[in-house]
Amino acid sequence: MSVAALTKKILHAALFYEIWDAMKVTFRHMFHKPITFQYPREQRTLPDTHRGALSLLRYDDKRERCVGCDLCEAACPSHCIKVVSAEDKDRPLQRYASEFYIDITKCVFCGYCVEACPVNALAMTKMYEFSTHDKRTLLFDKKRLYEIGERHLEDAKKYLYAHNQEKNVEESREYRYYFPQSVIKPTQSTPKHLS
Amino acid sequence: MGLKPATNPDVEAASIELTIDGKTVSAKDGVSLYDVISSTGKIIPAMCYHYTFDPFGSCGMCLVMQEGKKAPVRSCTAKATAGMVIRTEGEDLFLARKKAVEKHLSVHPLDCPVCDADGHCELQDMAFQHGVTNLANAKQKFIPEDTRSIVLDFNMNRCIACAECINVCKDVLMIDALQFMKKGGFNQVVAKGDLPLSCEFCGDCLAVCPVGAITNKYSKYLYKPWQMKKTTSTCNYCGDGCQLYLETKDSEVIRVTSPLSWKNKWGDRSETAKGHGGLCVRGRFGFEYLDGKSRLTQPLVRENNQLVPKPWLETMHQVVDRLAAIKEKHGSDAIAGLITARCTNEELYLFQKLMRAVIGTNQLDSSARYGHMNFVHATRHALGFGRTPNDWEDLTKAKAILLIGSNLTETNPLTAVRVKEAIRVYNAQVVVLDSAVTNIAKLASHPFLIKPGTESLVIDGLVKATIEHDLIDETAVEKHPRAFEALKSAVAGLSFDHLATQTGISVETYREIAAIMAEAPRSIILCAEGIVRRADGYQNVLKLIDLAWITGKLGKPGCGVNTVTEEPNEQGAVDMGVAPEFLPGQSRYEDTAARKRFGKAWDVTLPTNGGANLIDILKRCKSGQIKALYILGENPLGTLPASMEVRTALDKLELLVVQDPFLTETGRRAHFVLPACTYAEKDGTFTNLEGRVLRVRQAMDPIGESLPDWHIMTALANALGAQWPYESANDIQAEIMKLLPGYYNLGQPRKVTPEPDAYLANGYAVEVKTRYRIAPTTTDPKRPFALVMGQQLTHSGKMSTEALGLIKIAPNTGKLRMNLQDMERLGIQDGSKVRVTSERGSLQLGVQAEASLAPNTCFFPEHFNEPPVKDLMALQVDATTGVPSFKHAWVSIERA
Repeated sequence: MSVAALTKKILHAALFYEIWDAMKVTFRHMFHKPITFQYPREQRTLPDTHRGALSLLRYDDKRERCVGCDLCEAACPSHCIKVVSAEDKDRPLQRYASEFYIDITKCVFCGYCVEACPVNALAMTKMYEFSTHDKRTLLFDKKRLYEIGERHLEDAKKYLYAHNQEKNVEESREYRYYFPQSVIKPTQSTPKHLS
Repeated sequence: MGLKPATNPDVEAASIELTIDGKTVSAKDGVSLYDVISSTGKIIPAMCYHYTFDPFGSCGMCLVMQEGKKAPVRSCTAKATAGMVIRTEGEDLFLARKKAVEKHLSVHPLDCPVCDADGHCELQDMAFQHGVTNLANAKQKFIPEDTRSIVLDFNMNRCIACAECINVCKDVLMIDALQFMKKGGFNQVVAKGDLPLSCEFCGDCLAVCPVGAITNKYSKYLYKPWQMKKTTSTCNYCGDGCQLYLETKDSEVIRVTSPLSWKNKWGDRSETAKGHGGLCVRGRFGFEYLDGKSRLTQPLVRENNQLVPKPWLETMHQVVDRLAAIKEKHGSDAIAGLITARCTNEELYLFQKLMRAVIGTNQLDSSARYGHMNFVHATRHALGFGRTPNDWEDLTKAKAILLIGSNLTETNPLTAVRVKEAIRVYNAQVVVLDSAVTNIAKLASHPFLIKPGTESLVIDGLVKATIEHDLIDETAVEKHPRAFEALKSAVAGLSFDHLATQTGISVETYREIAAIMAEAPRSIILCAEGIVRRADGYQNVLKLIDLAWITGKLGKPGCGVNTVTEEPNEQGAVDMGVAPEFLPGQSRYEDTAARKRFGKAWDVTLPTNGGANLIDILKRCKSGQIKALYILGENPLGTLPASMEVRTALDKLELLVVQDPFLTETGRRAHFVLPACTYAEKDGTFTNLEGRVLRVRQAMDPIGESLPDWHIMTALANALGAQWPYESANDIQAEIMKLLPGYYNLGQPRKVTPEPDAYLANGYAVEVKTRYRIAPTTTDPKRPFALVMGQQLTHSGKMSTEALGLIKIAPNTGKLRMNLQDMERLGIQDGSKVRVTSERGSLQLGVQAEASLAPNTCFFPEHFNEPPVKDLMALQVDATTGVPSFKHAWVSIERA
């Protein structure tokens, strides 16, 4: 071993060079904005396309959008959706979902159901916290899904927009199927693109 | 495949040759080109085509290129001619067909997600197959949905005007309830005259609709086709034994569909002679009782004069203890059993085995006793077999059909469709003799209205006319000259004038009918409830056999005397030996050898003391001889008139066990009620009126704690000390197969050949002397009206009253149906009250007009006991067969 090298080694040992060298990373991060955040006190900002809990939506006039067509059930790869449809007693000839269940423990968050929905009644939200003491609460029923929809309406709308499902109102109506309603009393006027 | 049969099935059409896609094909002359192409196995899309009726040619999908023509031609309406050169494939044809789909789609709403046909829609399939993704000029019709009918909704926005519904209704069913009508600028399908649809509601239009234009109200929006489990089973409403698909979700029946559907539109037209695959209103819309709220879900035990739910184990212990105690104390003959013919063959077999081998009594009977037994005994006595000799194909291809005492379209609608096809396709002459203006009479070539209750005299007249006008078949008669002489002298005593005035059929008409029946190469006689359920039913069937014999129709192919049954398995009940006089396979119970054979198979000695049939059982209950009655699905209290005193008989019993899916009138008086399954929850077989053994398959799990009847019976037998190893209906089937080889005929019954020689040679002469006696005048001037209780199209027994859908179509109006003329004469209107008096009592009830009734008759459906019209009936028991007849009475009617 040469003298120079030996001197350097002794000097390093005397001045605790390795320790300072290692601490360099620590000190550098003392002045760095932290990457982690204090979940659950702090929440991450999610992109609009985020696939979180599913929700059911209503039209602006509070009517249920869902027509109970069972297509989400058919599209679901993990078979976590069950729709029971019936004729609406108050509005004859109108089909609606009398019961609607999503087992979110089985859900793989693929978003196929949202894509399958012809009326954009389903949307995904940014809600992702499912921890619970009782797994049974994770079987979302119709009431719960509408509650989620109401609470996360903005996110749900953004999701649909981000996934090209619902543009602005006029466009979206063109995109959607048009259901001829009971003409005992027409409830919808002829859509623009058809008249 | 879909070749239209020649009008005369005996004549073969000439053969021609043509070229299809480079191959030479031979075909029958004069048929549609589409049929020829599909017979080669090639399938060209066609939305308006169905093999059961003539091509209509509206969809424009079945395009083919014919050499020498510039544009594609529609193959369905084009006739195949010799030397045609046809191309069925190619880019140009694909594009032409795609254009046709686009044309339909451009006015079709894209509401597939809420449409009931979604996933089961031909237009959807075609759009997918032809890759239609973009429509340039889409239009909407905005037609209001027609929801006026009780059963079907018509959404004419979705209609593609294929006219399949109209064609099937007009051509196949001959009901003709639908039509096209131009409304709001569009051709729409509406009920005749644009009224609310009120037809027979067979729903065949619903089955053939390739889109969602016609939808079913009872299952609207409840399903998507892919969500349901489809089980092929046999209908349990009548003896026709139609095949149907029960479509279920979990333990809920969503809808019933038929083999007839737009999905199987390719078939051999001549095959429809065996049935066109459709259903009637009962089969298609009467399914709601299967999972209805009125089903029994728990065993009930009588405690303090009330029925309380109890667990199975406790109930069975009590039943078995009390049965064993009664057997111990009073002997085996203190116990008797009744079973309904709505049970499967396996259960019927097990029931008689339970009664005979385990309990040790021959006191048992089934609901075949209410009428079918008359026919069975008569044909067994005369011809050697106890069932109908002809199947549906014989009926369809008959040249002459004599329908007597049968409202066929109401009782057995699908057998009626066979008669309709005989009329429509094969130009059969149909003679209808009935005391009401029946639907089949309106279609028949020779409809005759007879005076009520004179069926027997009409047959007398026919036999007499056949003999006197020398319409007899020499070869048939020559074999048995003595028998013929006896018959001749027996009818000689009858006077035509008397017969004519009594029946309302003129002498000339007798001759005409006799000539039709005698001269046709294939003639079929069909008698039903008007014969077998009335007094002298046994003798009348024998008279009809006489008629068939002297006209030489016995044993000839396609000829014979037939009947129809109300319950699905009446034939099976007889074949399984559920009658005191029969062992399984219709062996006589008195036959010691047969009794020994079955005794050996069951490892017991069968009781030798004479058994008791339905009427005897009830009599013995009343006299206290029978202490315990085991009733399986039967409801004698609700069926028999009050004069039979069933209530007193049942109240005398120490033990009444009723096993039924519903709490019936009889069940309410029982000590124990055991919940049984319906046919949708069990496996087994039914034997239909043609003798075909048809499979019943389990479609869903039993409702509540109910169990299949065979399961309950096996448990009961084992608790009573037997060692029955049955774990499924298959095990019982295996045992029946061993004892009755060849009975499970897989829907292909063995043809039976009548053997009348023994009957005609021995004892016939003595028998026939009393058969054709001059009946005393039946009408009593004090009671001029004939009150008839009978079946309605929408109902079957009491069971259908539990089906909400059928009740919606035909509720119990509680009103007496009367002829309009009679009502005018008596000065009463629809809805006013009358007092009906028979020799058995008197009753006040409302009246409604009914066009199908003849003057001096009135009708009340036998399915309803409210008001208790059945109690006005007198009961007569046939001396030979023990069949009670109580469907006909003479009454007086006055304003109340």
